[in-house]
Amino acid sequence: MAFKMSVQEYKGKINEVEIGKGEKAIKLGGQQTLAFYDFDGDTGNSQKIGIEITDVYPEEWVTGLKEFYGDAAKNPAEWAKFVEEKLNPDFICLRLQGADPNELDKSPEECAEVAKAVVEAIQLPLVIAGTGNHEKDAKVFEKVTAAVEGYNCLFLAATEENYKSVGAAAGLAYGHKVGAESSVDINLAKQLNVLLDQLGVKYEDIVMHIGCSAAGYGFEYLVSTVDRIRLAALAQNDKTLQMPIITPVSFETWGVKETIAEESDAPDWGDREERGITMEVTTATSILSVGADAVIVRHPKSLETMKDFVCQFA
Amino acid sequence: MEKFLVIGERIHCISPAIRKALAEKDPAPILKRAKEQIEAGADYVDVNIGPAEKNGEELMTWAVQLIQSEFDNVPLALDTVNRKAIEAGLKVYNKEKGKAIINSADAGPRIDLFDLAAEYDAKIIGLCAKEGIPRDCEERIAYCTEMLEKAMEVGLDPSDILFDPLFLVIKGMQEKQSEVLEAIRQITEMGLKTTGGLSNVSNGAPKHVRPILDTGFAAMAIQCGLSSAIINPCDKELMDMIKTCDVIKNNILYADSYLDL
Repeated sequence: MAFKMSVQEYKGKINEVEIGKGEKAIKLGGQQTLAFYDFDGDTGNSQKIGIEITDVYPEEWVTGLKEFYGDAAKNPAEWAKFVEEKLNPDFICLRLQGADPNELDKSPEECAEVAKAVVEAIQLPLVIAGTGNHEKDAKVFEKVTAAVEGYNCLFLAATEENYKSVGAAAGLAYGHKVGAESSVDINLAKQLNVLLDQLGVKYEDIVMHIGCSAAGYGFEYLVSTVDRIRLAALAQNDKTLQMPIITPVSFETWGVKETIAEESDAPDWGDREERGITMEVTTATSILSVGADAVIVRHPKSLETMKDFVCQFA
Repeated sequence: MEKFLVIGERIHCISPAIRKALAEKDPAPILKRAKEQIEAGADYVDVNIGPAEKNGEELMTWAVQLIQSEFDNVPLALDTVNRKAIEAGLKVYNKEKGKAIINSADAGPRIDLFDLAAEYDAKIIGLCAKEGIPRDCEERIAYCTEMLEKAMEVGLDPSDILFDPLFLVIKGMQEKQSEVLEAIRQITEMGLKTTGGLSNVSNGAPKHVRPILDTGFAAMAIQCGLSSAIINPCDKELMDMIKTCDVIKNNILYADSYLDL
């Protein structure tokens, strides 16, 4: 008797969500099986890799990166253009760190201007991340979503605290995509999608950011969370969890001691920049393997490695 | 485990409004009840046209097309003792959203309905009975096995059979309830699916007592493995209990708003 490969079929399907517009627009999700399981079913759209830039000059970043970007990093629009031309990622993530009340506390209007200049300077899809301060993000996104209307951006993120204003501005008023952020909590991840739905945001306009951690920092818990969410979406056909997942890897990996410590303080660990890339690539690879549909990285070398990884497997 | 499958019972010729609508081919009352049940969370809508000896084929064809065209091919359970009417319904049934359920075969005179299920790629409810009410759990399992053999013969996948152990009225047959629950447990342990007409258990009880009898029995039966039931989905307490059981059994992921879903 001929060998018959057994196949795990699922009833559920991950929604396909488009970000950006025109030729460079990207689609996330659309799969009917687990990540890279092309022997079991349709794996949907390939995983997308984005590059992080910030609205203020990144003083904290490693010297190598600052040298690489040079003066471009002093102007977000120039910087975005540079990234598009030189690195060609799948998308760019503009992080509005300058709005942080504990830092420059820039006004929502200032942020809106920056975001508008960036989105107009590039063809690539734009993901716009806030400060992580829920109250401030709600105010900032209210202005920014209006300023970039028509560009179909993804906003990171709506949380349990501010989902009403962020969902209403990004998802309802200005036709963008809403990132729904929960901190490695499966029940909250589901609840937030339900709440956004009850607000009127379509499931098809939501991308989940279910939390992130650097490899080695409770990462197994994150992995099991993504796993459980995907199995609920696919095997239990749970419509409230069939959103693609984006993971801003660089937001976490460049803030841990392995990437912060200078070589002079930790000579055994070797070059700081190399460590940062390793941390970023390790984390991004792991989270893509378990189910994330998009990751955000900071270093061009990480981008190159991850694009190659996706290319080889997808 | 898959989440509990709810089959809505409210399109039934025993209801005067439905009987009249079926007699006059008046779509409105039928569509209204279908809509209510779908909105309340029914996965399947049962369509009971009664024995319909004269015009069963025509009536089932009409009802199936009426409901499926109005509600995006919602899956249906075709419910009548008239075999020809079931076949007529299966002929026009659209299985895009799920196979039809034949309601129902038994281990006795209606065992030939398994042939129809195989021929039309439908699911089928298999009543664990032959003539009259099965005595105990053992007798139910014997009928279950007979039907399983028949299904194998005609090439029907066991997962397409919903075995009905025959729920009995509590008022008057209290001593039989444990037998029913035990049958559910044993059928489930064989890896098979189960169903039943839940409101049987509360028959004859006062109106205000019926929901709690139904709900309590449902929870106990689900713990024994019951995988679906023919119920009134507009009974909110019952639906909330089913959702809660699904959460406790980890068939669906908990969220604070799970009762709203």
